[in-house]
Amino acid sequence: MRIVTWLLVVAGLALVAFGVVTAVGQAASGLQPWSNELSDNFVFIKAVPFVLAFGFAVGMLMARTYGPKVRADGAVRRWSPGTVFGHLILTLGFVLALPTGMWQYLGGILDVNLPIPIYLFYRVHYIGASVVLFAVAAFTSYLWMTGDRSLLVPRGQWSRHLLGLAYELHPRIRGPYAKLFRIDLSQPRPPAGKFSFYEKVVEFPSWSILLALITITGLIKAARYVVPVPGFGLWVASTLHVAAMVGITVKLLDHLRYTFPRWPLMASIATTWVKEGSAPVRRQGAAERGGSAAGVAGGGDS
Amino acid sequence: MRRLVAVLGLLWTLANLAVAYFFVTSAFVAKTAAKEGILAQLSLLLGGVLIAGFAILLARECVRMLTSADASRTA
Repeated sequence: MRIVTWLLVVAGLALVAFGVVTAVGQAASGLQPWSNELSDNFVFIKAVPFVLAFGFAVGMLMARTYGPKVRADGAVRRWSPGTVFGHLILTLGFVLALPTGMWQYLGGILDVNLPIPIYLFYRVHYIGASVVLFAVAAFTSYLWMTGDRSLLVPRGQWSRHLLGLAYELHPRIRGPYAKLFRIDLSQPRPPAGKFSFYEKVVEFPSWSILLALITITGLIKAARYVVPVPGFGLWVASTLHVAAMVGITVKLLDHLRYTFPRWPLMASIATTWVKEGSAPVRRQGAAERGGSAAGVAGGGDS
Repeated sequence: MRRLVAVLGLLWTLANLAVAYFFVTSAFVAKTAAKEGILAQLSLLLGGVLIAGFAILLARECVRMLTSADASRTA
């Protein structure tokens, strides 16, 4: 089975290289009356099926690394090596796509042109978008193959998770939050498990929604020269694409704000391991010992 | 390592504060009103305020990381 997966990955790599080279060859042949920007758009949209298929194959390989493990020193595997790889690729995609996308938008709003031609911004944006699409396809395939649902709130568990989240929030917003969702704070704090309530209720759902939104709207925008897209549909897709970009900018700041003070979580997304008793378990324990506010004191909790 | 991450975080915060500044100021420019309309102006304002707010929260964490690293070194 491992050999078959590797063969699929190698075949996927060969196909994506063939697809990109063919699309670039067509665009650069001099036979097409396209501008640099339009050429890049055609290369990108033609490469997308190959990139997605390659990502899907790599996701199957990532799934081979899935499984619980405990080290001799008691550290437990929090993320599989496949997830760490996918997270790294996704980060790289954002580093390329987010600033270039932001400049395309802000440049238009401010009516400012840099000495660098705009098509170069689009080119880097398309490369970053391809990397993001690859990572999204890989994670979809990974989650499908492994059946891992540990970051999802299980059916019928929402009230317990909303209660748990209340205790992870900053004391100043805990009250208004509890009032909004009608949460009874006299109930005891439920145990969090492998992932914190914030990760399961806020982080994973918001990232999933934003990623789905930016990829779908981005594909509609990019495909408009290949497939007829009604004007209103294009306007909606463009508006939602910008909204998703702003959402990702905000979410990225929130993600860093949440993980920086929980250093073991930062380390685990690079090493895959977390020591037993590290965050979020340790913070939760502190909260239970010293009252609900103690767990968030002095540590920038959500 | 923590210090490096904190410094990089602060740089990221500064870039985001610049973006937030352009978002908020563009929301009140007549050209935006004429070109994009009131909905775009409100979106720019909301986006700018959110980016600035979360950037400040991240900056606070980065400063905490820097100061705690200094404190642990001098202790």
